[in-house]
Amino acid sequence: MTAYIARRMVTAVFMLLAIAFVTIALFFGASKDPARAMCGKPCPAETKAKVSAYMQTDQSVVWQYGQFVKGLVAGRTYGEGAQQVECAAPCFGYSFPNRSDVTSLIGERLPVTLSLALGAAVLCLVVGIGLGALSAIRKGGMVDRFSTGFAMFGLSVPTFLVGLLVVQVFGFMLNVLPFSGFVPFSESPVDWAWHLIGPWMVLSFILAASYVRVTRTQLLNELSAEHLVAMTARGASPRQVNRHAVRGVMVPISAMFALDVTALLGGSVIAEKVFSLHGLGDLLLSGVNESDLSIVVGVTLFSAFLIIVGNLVVDLLMPLLDPRIRRA
Amino acid sequence: MPDPVLQVEDLSISFTTGETTFDVVRDLSVTLDGGRTLAVVGESGSGKTITGRAIMRLLPRGAGARGRIVVAGRDMLAADERELRRARGADVAMVFQDSMSALSPYLDIGAHIAQAVRLHDPSVSRRAARARGVEMLERVGIPEPADAVRRFPHEFSGGMRQRAVIAMALVNRPALLIADEPTTALDVTVQAQILALLRELQQEYGMAMLLISHDFGVVASAADDVLVLYAGREAEYGSLRDVFEAPAHPYTAGLRAATPRLDARLDTGGERTRLRAIPGAPTSLRDAGPGCAFAPRCGLAGQVGERCVVEVPLRSRRTSGTTGGAHRAACHLDRLPSSGEIAR
Repeated sequence: MTAYIARRMVTAVFMLLAIAFVTIALFFGASKDPARAMCGKPCPAETKAKVSAYMQTDQSVVWQYGQFVKGLVAGRTYGEGAQQVECAAPCFGYSFPNRSDVTSLIGERLPVTLSLALGAAVLCLVVGIGLGALSAIRKGGMVDRFSTGFAMFGLSVPTFLVGLLVVQVFGFMLNVLPFSGFVPFSESPVDWAWHLIGPWMVLSFILAASYVRVTRTQLLNELSAEHLVAMTARGASPRQVNRHAVRGVMVPISAMFALDVTALLGGSVIAEKVFSLHGLGDLLLSGVNESDLSIVVGVTLFSAFLIIVGNLVVDLLMPLLDPRIRRA
Repeated sequence: MPDPVLQVEDLSISFTTGETTFDVVRDLSVTLDGGRTLAVVGESGSGKTITGRAIMRLLPRGAGARGRIVVAGRDMLAADERELRRARGADVAMVFQDSMSALSPYLDIGAHIAQAVRLHDPSVSRRAARARGVEMLERVGIPEPADAVRRFPHEFSGGMRQRAVIAMALVNRPALLIADEPTTALDVTVQAQILALLRELQQEYGMAMLLISHDFGVVASAADDVLVLYAGREAEYGSLRDVFEAPAHPYTAGLRAATPRLDARLDTGGERTRLRAIPGAPTSLRDAGPGCAFAPRCGLAGQVGERCVVEVPLRSRRTSGTTGGAHRAACHLDRLPSSGEIAR
């Protein structure tokens, strides 16, 4: 088991290094010039060249990549003399527009994304499994018809539209919810939750749709499963049988959930934009807008890392939940 | 004479979908003593399986049973939920056709058997219950039972799985075993082994067995009595010998003629015989007309005339009974002509 995890982690490191290369190559492939954004409004070629050299973006992609990897291991120094900037190892890059290294930028934004992701994930689980289960139990009933429509809507409507609708309805028309800003949990848990209800609603609505569908299908399968009839035939009570049915639903749901949580933790660009939350998604977006290579690479790597870890967790979790996978 | 283990009187089973209610089984009556096997035979949709399930009150939602079902002295249709739970798995157990889907994919074989034990005697420890599982697996002929209890259903072959299902059903020594097509999903050689095992355990435990099957070969090798169902009604009922050698219902005769026999040449004095299929398709109680449900497919209906189409034949006693037991058939003809004329 330990060997397996170790092997997966080693693979993950190489995968991340490859992702870093692709990201850097794509960044320059899109003919982005970080120096252009930094050099100011009248930007004579001479100044631009200096800025470029200072930011070390005047070199080839391969050289950039080499510096990036070197920075991870040994740290990186930009410029010299009074303008010298140190980025200690492991250095994921230095953001000149923000005058800060990427690691601390991600660290600053993480609480926002974390709050957003975890709340949305919990809400999505409750709503998705709840609605899905209710519609499976009363198949064809009112709840079922409502939640089928709900799921269809959630799957087909883009996040920004739901986001703007929530802001419009709850923020402006009903004026019951704040529609922007973030209050740290440590400052006031109530305000923290109050400010996040909107974005939680939006994200979980979009996500819950697939949970409704999976829960409903799985539970319907389980409820008509012969092995549950067999269990009743052995003398089990409906409660014992139902508890068993739940297990069959939990297997696919937990796999989905682990992957969705990691995706959420990587930042939600649209929801953060709509609700003016400064999380990782917002950081990534600003990095792209300001041609800030270090931020783009840093946030991409962070998200990729989470997804790799999420997959590993799923792969380790599934055999525990489903013995059929254990010895396959 | 002790009371029969299973007594079914005028059992009708109906389904309700939306506004409509219709019967799928009507007026079945059988009795079954300990140590004996009653085979329920019929085509798909004739009501065999639902009858077996009704006896354990395992009907799907929307289905209801009327009449009387007494298993080991307990009136199953009058029993409340607690009493039913006490009966299921202890007085009456079931072996399902598809052992794969009848086993939970998330539990190992030992957990299944332990569950059956502990549901009826919570005082047994988990360990002791699993030990009973090992014993039971050994009894049904699973090699290395101590190792096998830890395996999961998908790690067993079909035959081994069916043995495990039998072990599970018999661990509480039920008075009645309902075996719903227990060998249908298996290879022919494995079929014979499983049937032999069932018979052996039946003798050992003195239990009654309701064997649901569409396979006359299986029925011939295992049953004492036979109940032939057609479209949810009894077509014929009697001892195996009576029903097989002197079928009193054209449907039974037709099924016999449609069954391949290895000794066919001997039977007909060396002549080649062809298998004769029953023309037409099976119907259901719901779609059957006012008369005999089999009439549209019956080669003899012409001999009787109108009556077959307008009047449901009542079960009537036949004198052909050679074994002394009851032999009855639901046909307007009192006596069938010799086999050659039956099929159309």
